[in-house]
Amino acid sequence: MRNLIRNYGMVFVLIGLCLLFSVLTLKEQAPESSRAIGQLVEQISKAHRKSDLILTVGAFNKESASFARQLREELEKEGFGNTRVVVGIPRDLRLALDEIRASGSRPAVIATSGDVIKWRVLERLGEKYPEFSGCEVLIPESYLWPDFLKRSNLLAIVDRIVVIAVIAIGMTMVIITGGIDLSVGSLIAVSAVIGTVVMKKLGGLAAADWVVLVGFIAGILSCGVIGGLGGLLVARFKVPPFITTLGIMLMGRGLAFMITGGFSIYQVPKALPWLGQGTSMGIPNTVIMLFFLYIIAHIFMSHTRLGRHIYAVGGNQEAARLSGVSVRHVIVFVYIISSLAAGLGGCIQASQLNTGTPNMGVMYELYVIAAVVVGGSSLSGGTGRILGTLIGVFVISVIQNGMNLLGIESYTQQVVLGLVILGAVLLDKARSSGALHSALFKKSQVRR
Amino acid sequence: MRQKAGTAKLILCIILLGLLWSCTSKPKFKGKIGMTCMDLTNPFFKLIANLMEEEAAKYGYEIVALSGDQDPAKQNNQLSDFVAQSYDAIFLNPVDSKSAGEGVKKAYAAGIPVFTFDVQVTDEEANKLIISHIGSDNYQGGRLAGKSMMKATGDKGKIAIVSLPEVTSCILRVDGFKDYLKEHNSSLQIVTELSGKGNRNDAYAVTTDILQAHPTIVGIFAINDPSALGAYAAVKKANKLDQITLVGFDASPAGKQAVFEKKLYDSPQQFPRKMAKGTVEAFIKYLEGEDLPKNNFIRCAHYYYDDSVSDPSRVKEQW
Repeated sequence: MRNLIRNYGMVFVLIGLCLLFSVLTLKEQAPESSRAIGQLVEQISKAHRKSDLILTVGAFNKESASFARQLREELEKEGFGNTRVVVGIPRDLRLALDEIRASGSRPAVIATSGDVIKWRVLERLGEKYPEFSGCEVLIPESYLWPDFLKRSNLLAIVDRIVVIAVIAIGMTMVIITGGIDLSVGSLIAVSAVIGTVVMKKLGGLAAADWVVLVGFIAGILSCGVIGGLGGLLVARFKVPPFITTLGIMLMGRGLAFMITGGFSIYQVPKALPWLGQGTSMGIPNTVIMLFFLYIIAHIFMSHTRLGRHIYAVGGNQEAARLSGVSVRHVIVFVYIISSLAAGLGGCIQASQLNTGTPNMGVMYELYVIAAVVVGGSSLSGGTGRILGTLIGVFVISVIQNGMNLLGIESYTQQVVLGLVILGAVLLDKARSSGALHSALFKKSQVRR
Repeated sequence: MRQKAGTAKLILCIILLGLLWSCTSKPKFKGKIGMTCMDLTNPFFKLIANLMEEEAAKYGYEIVALSGDQDPAKQNNQLSDFVAQSYDAIFLNPVDSKSAGEGVKKAYAAGIPVFTFDVQVTDEEANKLIISHIGSDNYQGGRLAGKSMMKATGDKGKIAIVSLPEVTSCILRVDGFKDYLKEHNSSLQIVTELSGKGNRNDAYAVTTDILQAHPTIVGIFAINDPSALGAYAAVKKANKLDQITLVGFDASPAGKQAVFEKKLYDSPQQFPRKMAKGTVEAFIKYLEGEDLPKNNFIRCAHYYYDDSVSDPSRVKEQW
């Protein structure tokens, strides 16, 4: 237990955050289940004749649409012959009501669910259609459930972490060697732009599916080359990583704007969104990819020689060199991995947005570094865990998502995010210096 | 020990306050509308956000205003969050006219109506899914700037443009400006067109360079007021105020004052109030089931010295 807390204490922070946001986003949700349908059918059967005109209404593409259709089917089974279903936008309902009024009839019940009750055409029914007096608007009883835990929201969280999570793998390695990579944000743009330009050149909108793969490879490899050069500068010429990658960051951003002339590349094949938006067996492709990437990275870092060497270089370069580790190679290697990861991140981003835009990934380097540090890696090198990084990524994106859900202003969000990062580093320092440990455990011993 | 208990109490208080706040902020309201714009640090959008909040509150809606911070991916995430909570509507001012299309499609697939303001979504498929757009007629505003430039310079000499080619609305302003000159057979010669990045500092730097390369220019058209004021500073530094006429765009509070002080000759006026109010109105009309126009363009108007003299909004530093 102690070990778990020491290694993955951030897990508890993450769980705490999830609980907090679940409580704060608790909201009445409209039920669209078959039970709710049964309830309405029963209610209508009791109060109305089988010949009454009954309207079921649903909003386009929402759960209420299938609710309205099913409810109508059930009503027809019960013997109601005069039903009508309206699915669409408020205007469709207005047109339907106009038509009913013109034909001289009058709906006895308008049954619906969800947001449809907020449609003003329904709210002001009595005002706008005085002829329809006595028409009942029926909705099923609502229940409480947090917005945060809705399936669609959990998917949205995963959606947003993918790019940062992929890049954070490379960044973790770089930071473990005691370096830093500021260029990843710009490399996202470089990869996305080169990838989409290649796709555009190879046929654009009408291109075959394999073109997407070629584009991705082109984007990722060009980032790898840039990263390799940066790694050489750091390893061979001892240029500080901060300066090296700062230079690459500026060059990369400029390059992305130069290649595109400042515009977005949107003439891309139809298969492009598959990676970032598609699903396999009901699971988003990005989730599957992340899963495997993290498993591989975790095994690599904890069970291979090169992985151990990365820790050794970060712990003490001189000692690592003396014990036979090729420090230069290790350093070049981590910068290449970091850039390749950024390149892959760029491809995912391009796929998610279905475009290549030169201003993609602005400030991402800071989010990624923050995630890695929150995940427990030390900026002075030598320590860090791949899975810790994943947790760090989740913490940061859950905070961002939660604040958006709560409608907290953008300015405030930045302040909160900054505080969280500082808090995490503080916690890390306290932990490594033993202050936290004694506060947590020694005291309970005294009490006992 | 006692200190620890004190902190614990404090934390408990904060949590309780937080819960209380989250309860009190929930009085009978209809729902939330997600709004995301290019950049909330720009006073133009900050004003629009505030006005939308005011206007929507009248109907029981709360606006959640977020800043896309000029980052299309960030804005896409914000759209995802709006969709995840199934807000009642989304008011979108796209950072990038093309890539915002993916977010629009996502919103449509979740049954959430999207309204755009100021900048349109140009992805063809996504544009069809937009319920309604409201924005300045930037092209027409650009033509006004062209007209003023011809008038002020006596239609003679070399001029420069300080542009912002990353943003569609600003491209349209330049297009309108150029087309007006062309259609009226202007003998003005545009010698250079460089990006001032839409802000004072960069416009100052780029104008300084323009004046080095083209010392004889007689006019500068800057695509917004911050750029125009940056250009003004550079022209003043080079002692060429008598030689060069400046035309801005927006008639922002600072722009109005600059026109009044005769720093700018004209600043074709945008109407953020109409834009904010119009967007909320479009949403309410949508809920009423009324027919909506696909595009609602607000015409720009000249803003000359004569307009500024008796303009109360200039004195109050308002748009």
